[in-house]
Amino acid sequence: MTDRGLQVRLGKLKLKNPVLTASGTAGYGEELAEFFDLSKLGAMVMKGISLQPWQGNPAPRITETPCGMINSIGLQNVGLDVFLREKLPFVRQWDVPVIANILGTDANEYIRLAAELDEAGVEAIELNVSCPNIKKGGISFGRDINSFSRLVAAVRRKVKNAALIVKLTPDAPVDVFARAAGESGADAVSLINTIPALAIDINTRRPLIKNVIGGLSGPAVKPIAVRMVYQASRAVKIPVIGMGGISCGADAIEFMLAGATAVAVGSAIFRDPMAPLKVIEEIGAYMKGRGIKSVSGITGAMAGR
Amino acid sequence: MFGLNSRKDPFLKRPFCYFRKKRNTIDILYRVVGKVTTLMTGLRAGDTAEVMGPLGNCYPVEGVEGRKPIVLAGGVGIASVYPLLGALVGKAHLFYGGRTARDLLLTGELESLSSGLTLATEDGSAGFRGTAVDAVRAHLKGRDKRDFILYACGPNGMLKAASALGVDGYIASEEKMACGIGVCLGCAVRTPAGYKRACKDGPVFPIGEVLFD
Repeated sequence: MTDRGLQVRLGKLKLKNPVLTASGTAGYGEELAEFFDLSKLGAMVMKGISLQPWQGNPAPRITETPCGMINSIGLQNVGLDVFLREKLPFVRQWDVPVIANILGTDANEYIRLAAELDEAGVEAIELNVSCPNIKKGGISFGRDINSFSRLVAAVRRKVKNAALIVKLTPDAPVDVFARAAGESGADAVSLINTIPALAIDINTRRPLIKNVIGGLSGPAVKPIAVRMVYQASRAVKIPVIGMGGISCGADAIEFMLAGATAVAVGSAIFRDPMAPLKVIEEIGAYMKGRGIKSVSGITGAMAGR
Repeated sequence: MFGLNSRKDPFLKRPFCYFRKKRNTIDILYRVVGKVTTLMTGLRAGDTAEVMGPLGNCYPVEGVEGRKPIVLAGGVGIASVYPLLGALVGKAHLFYGGRTARDLLLTGELESLSSGLTLATEDGSAGFRGTAVDAVRAHLKGRDKRDFILYACGPNGMLKAASALGVDGYIASEEKMACGIGVCLGCAVRTPAGYKRACKDGPVFPIGEVLFD
């Protein structure tokens, strides 16, 4: 297997390997750059950004649950201006495609964010219509098929150069929304965002997250995410980016067999900042061990159906 | 960050401070509170674990400048101030609080590391009856607070009370952490300039910078 064998395409976007960081688990690259060479990643998916800076939610924001965690960070972010002025130039020091994850409280905010980031030259824009942790916008688009389709189409019209990825919530039928994303002009869909979840301390009777409900991630969600990637990939012709509990190469292969063209490593980065590189290596080892020449040959190759 | 060799359950690493450092070993002092610390009690010599560190900042000792250092520790918070007592070369007065006498560890050793040791227990079973913050307040009575610098580590309630003493100094914040390296934004500490990260911007913050509920 050559390095070329790991290349994948997301529409017009070519990636040197199929492993991305999941938005919100890698910041803007500054911290992970202390651990490894960011150019080793297939793409760097940035922490979600909004037009104005957002403060985020009060603590506690996270709690561990069996084989996973619940978070409610609340999209704390630096806002578009600081992103363009400081964060994007920083990550440009590495030869890695940048995927900007955007979040607005209404359609106009999404459109402005997408237009400015497209202008700034990011390789892809990921439309976050699936965050469970903010009050307005976001997931409300991800759960209503009409406003969802209108939003994707409106953003598509503004985005001239970047690839457009739509990130889906597991809290809606993913086949229906994936199909609508494709029909509205998306180049790819990514899923799953976290699953709305609740954990309670039985001694204090308080929720373990200050905001009560947060989003579940980690190995606990993986079989659900694999099922949803399978359903979404069967519903669309555009590529699917699979994520949800990936912590090793075997997990990534499973997503690809279910239909994912690329994968993202998320909260496993919290456990181990080197996790994305280990996943890349282990995918390579799997291919080598089985004489697989091109990683795209694994996509959708689940047997026996 | 300390992780057991279980990549799925428990899932995340846990934050601890270095308690004692020797040539080739690090001691971690912990209280058994949940899944990870319970499993840690089953570790035996020769077992392996994943450790990533050191991470975050330390108590600054440069700013002491003729002021008398007061070190305040609540419960297992003694672990983070233990090396500080050494850095302050025995000049600090240590106030060490717990619920009962049984919660107070290594008192003989701590006495030799400090210029004075005041124990405080809520039930009065050892030393001052009340919280360690109450004991500091009693100690400061009638004295000029500007002559002191305070370092505190313990539960959030204690840090809040310590911040209200009117003495300059530093507190080590305690929040749940997922990553320990600043990417998850889980360990949010509220400050006048917005949320900061206990893991990367702290855990030590100047008194007054952390806003409590």
